[in-house]
Amino acid sequence: MIDYLQFVLAPQMVTGLSLGVAVILVALGLTIIFGLLDVINMSHGEFYAVGAYLALALGAAGLNFWLLLVLVPLLMLPIGFLVEKGLIQRVFNSPDRHTTTLLLTFGLGLVIEETLAVIFGPNTQRPPTPIRGAVEVFGVMLPNYRMFLIGFGLSVVAAVALVIYRTRLGAMVRAAAFDRHMAASLGVPVGFVFAGAFAFGIALAGLAGVLLAPVYSVFPTMGRDFILLAFTVVIVGGMGSIAGAVVAGLVLTQIQAISSLFISPVWSDPIVFGILVVMLVVRPQGLFGRLGRG
Amino acid sequence: MTRITTTTLALLASVALAPLALAQQGPIKIGVNTPLSGTYAPIGQQVRWGLELAAKDVNAAGGIAGRQVQLIFEDEEANPAVAVQKADKLFQVDKVDFMTGTVNSGSTLAVGQIAERAGKLVATTVSFADSITGDRCSPNVFRVNARAEQQSSALAAWLTKEKPNPKVYFLGPDYEMGRSTVAAFQAGIKARGGSVLGEVFAPLDSKDYSQYFGQIRAARPQVLYTSVAGNDTVRLLTQMQEFGLLSNLQVVGASGTLTSQNIGAIGSAADNFATGVGYSPQIDTPENKAFVSKFQAAYKADPDLYGADSYGLVFFYKAAVEKAGSTETDKVREAMRGLEWDTPQGRKTMRAGDHQALQTMYVVRVEKQKFNIVGQVPATEAVGPDLCTKF
Amino acid sequence: MVEAATGPVADPARGARPIDRIGLAMRASHLLALLLLAGCLVFALVAWRTGDVFYLRLATEALIFAGLALSVDILLGYTGLLSLGQALYFGLGAYMSAVLLRSGWSFAGVMAAVLLGATVVSFLGGLIVSRVRGVYFALITFGMAQVAAKAVYNTRELGASDGLIGVPIVKIALGFTTVSSDSPIGFFLFVLGFMVLLYLALSYLLDTPFGRILIAIRSNERRVPFLGYQPQRARLCAYVAAGIVAALSGALYPMLRGFVSPELMSFTTSGNAVITVVTGGAGTLVGALYGSVILTALRSVIGSWTSHHLIVIGLIFMAVVIFFPRGLIGVIRARLESWLVRRRTR
Repeated sequence: MIDYLQFVLAPQMVTGLSLGVAVILVALGLTIIFGLLDVINMSHGEFYAVGAYLALALGAAGLNFWLLLVLVPLLMLPIGFLVEKGLIQRVFNSPDRHTTTLLLTFGLGLVIEETLAVIFGPNTQRPPTPIRGAVEVFGVMLPNYRMFLIGFGLSVVAAVALVIYRTRLGAMVRAAAFDRHMAASLGVPVGFVFAGAFAFGIALAGLAGVLLAPVYSVFPTMGRDFILLAFTVVIVGGMGSIAGAVVAGLVLTQIQAISSLFISPVWSDPIVFGILVVMLVVRPQGLFGRLGRG
Repeated sequence: MTRITTTTLALLASVALAPLALAQQGPIKIGVNTPLSGTYAPIGQQVRWGLELAAKDVNAAGGIAGRQVQLIFEDEEANPAVAVQKADKLFQVDKVDFMTGTVNSGSTLAVGQIAERAGKLVATTVSFADSITGDRCSPNVFRVNARAEQQSSALAAWLTKEKPNPKVYFLGPDYEMGRSTVAAFQAGIKARGGSVLGEVFAPLDSKDYSQYFGQIRAARPQVLYTSVAGNDTVRLLTQMQEFGLLSNLQVVGASGTLTSQNIGAIGSAADNFATGVGYSPQIDTPENKAFVSKFQAAYKADPDLYGADSYGLVFFYKAAVEKAGSTETDKVREAMRGLEWDTPQGRKTMRAGDHQALQTMYVVRVEKQKFNIVGQVPATEAVGPDLCTKF
Repeated sequence: MVEAATGPVADPARGARPIDRIGLAMRASHLLALLLLAGCLVFALVAWRTGDVFYLRLATEALIFAGLALSVDILLGYTGLLSLGQALYFGLGAYMSAVLLRSGWSFAGVMAAVLLGATVVSFLGGLIVSRVRGVYFALITFGMAQVAAKAVYNTRELGASDGLIGVPIVKIALGFTTVSSDSPIGFFLFVLGFMVLLYLALSYLLDTPFGRILIAIRSNERRVPFLGYQPQRARLCAYVAAGIVAALSGALYPMLRGFVSPELMSFTTSGNAVITVVTGGAGTLVGALYGSVILTALRSVIGSWTSHHLIVIGLIFMAVVIFFPRGLIGVIRARLESWLVRRRTR
């Protein structure tokens, strides 16, 4: 029994937790973009890949990992800003915004993915693990980098939540999300806030890329890896809800991790999908409300 | 007088047959239907390099039966639906004499059927699913590379000699091909006195393998066999290293598990991995050394098994056409059956019964990004019986 | 029906009636469909005279995938629902057809079985997806197709990752003649006829009150219940119709190529169908046909000079979404409609 806990259940839950944090990081940007702009960003996974490739290329050029952790998200900001201003805004006022932006970002994702393959080649690459070694706690092996990943990831989420719910900037963002016309008339620079929020979401995806590249490795189609899971987390948590994304991310990955002990791991995707379907039918608004609404 | 007559006759004949002879003297066209984009592009790259180098060598030495070799490339995207479309184009529009290049076994099987309907011959230099020269064999399909069974039995023979009665744990990708490679290796190990401690199948494209490490650790195996491939291997081995699982554990696997495409990303976690293959650049023969240095000079990269098998294919086709004295399908097929020919890997024999090439098999172990040869298994020991019943 | 499209316009008595926008659009579509049909027949004649095989088969494949695009258009263009998993039904039809043909079924038997199978499966799937809209619909259809593709990938009886080969050549009895699926020209003409029939059947269906409800749902779903209709039921019907069209088209694929593989059910296939419809013009039906023909030709042309043709296609697609949201045929059809109106009012 102790053996089972130590060798099987505990490592499984730790693995689930690190995957959970990874998914939350990807889902966080997605849910902010949806909550504020009402835009489905299908290319989100590809921006995650861009972040990972930037980390790989700059790391190979000699920059150290801790610098990249700051630099890559900063580089992603102007990219996101330009994408919002140059592409998203062009179809922002079309009658069916969800579908149109979904199509546009789907095309964008396709182009980014292929461009990455042209520039960096189709082979898998991997930056070195920044923190090596592992500690043994009660016989459970815990790699140091995973521990850092979990801790750092959760701090990022907490910081984002603080900014949005506790600062003046956050208040403007929430106001714009709630009613853009009202916010605009109160002097909130809505256009800038929208582009900024999109860029911020993209930067978060890039940050996730830097953090996860050493663990999950880097290749052109890596963006597809998380996308179904991340969308599920966003929908189950409630589109646009940060707290929802965190709770749903942790719960869903734990369900996946623990269920794969009892049934073939092949079923973990269908299980997550099943939860998504049930959720949509029973409570389509998700666990938590949207950004700017209560 | 007699001599003059003969010459005159020959001259007359050549004038009379000129149009026909001209058509015959055009280049011999080989269609290369291989993935040039997508995940399998690096393998397609090796196929392309191997064939281009061989075509250059053959043409420099006078071509095939005096005719130059021309390669025509199409991108099949490793998708059988695209592969058949491109095969159709190569056969119908480009009128190629012979075709090769398919990588994944789905494409090879589908293209083989197109070849049957078009009355042409194809060969694979990469696909290793046993079924291609087994229960799904075709009279129009040849395979010059080693199939999974040859790789697996070579590895099993080496492993049981190295570590008598090994205790092995199995981790395979959860799909048909992964399950069958694991089952084949389990049978090979058991027949040689080893024991199976357990098995686990992870979904394809799994992100995290650490969830299986607890089970593996609890079983305390000496050897871990895996048949995951591509990105999955990168994640599996680097995550095992991260969790300190690689010490005191010999990892072995299928030949497609660790290749020159993913070894760079795996880094030091690849060290000590062993597999059975048909080729390594380290083969110590003059022919191979010459081949490797030519390859490196041309492409600034080492050939891997795909490049070497593709290189050897052109010489296989050359030998067959010259023996048949024609490029006609039926004659070439007859010539190919039982044909022996020389490649950088050594002498290969095309078995007539199932169109599977027999060759010496090697066991290689990775040390500092190099595939060092640690064992060798004779051709007849590695290959199983001919199971093809279609022809 | 195609004939009738151009006929009544000259009737002066009709000129006085208010313009029926939707009917007008339908007539413009028919005109364009007629043009495409004529183009295909000219192509077939040229190909037949030159003894071509490859281009005929490629064109046949383009028409088969046009059927998949038609099914996406029923959902996207008429009901406003974006399906990212329509390849599920295309694959269902293809696999059913391959399995049944291999066990010796006749063409008619296969098509009947596929019709039945697709109706049942899409009805069951529809019970789930008709409850949701917008992005939720897109994600659920996507997820469903992913799960199904994975299941096929793991099923040994269906050839697993390698797919099924050895689908026999099928003889199609048409009463007046018999078409063999390995005759490039014969099978091309047959598939062309089949797609024309599908197009006509769908145009008719969408011209009935049912079709008008779908269009009403697209423009303003909340008002539909006040008209006495249930949007959910209409959505379910549209979903079933789309599933059937995709599956029937898919059933033709193994007859042409002699095999099926799990890639036919993949997201790439679904995504291509969406790209086809949007580029061709959603909500026009005929745009799906044009889109498939154009994109197949484009892939063949671009694919021969770069292996990165997906970038080009992706960029074209993005440009269409931004600059021509109604797609190629949407733009042309609008011109055609005003021409038809001018002719009538003159």
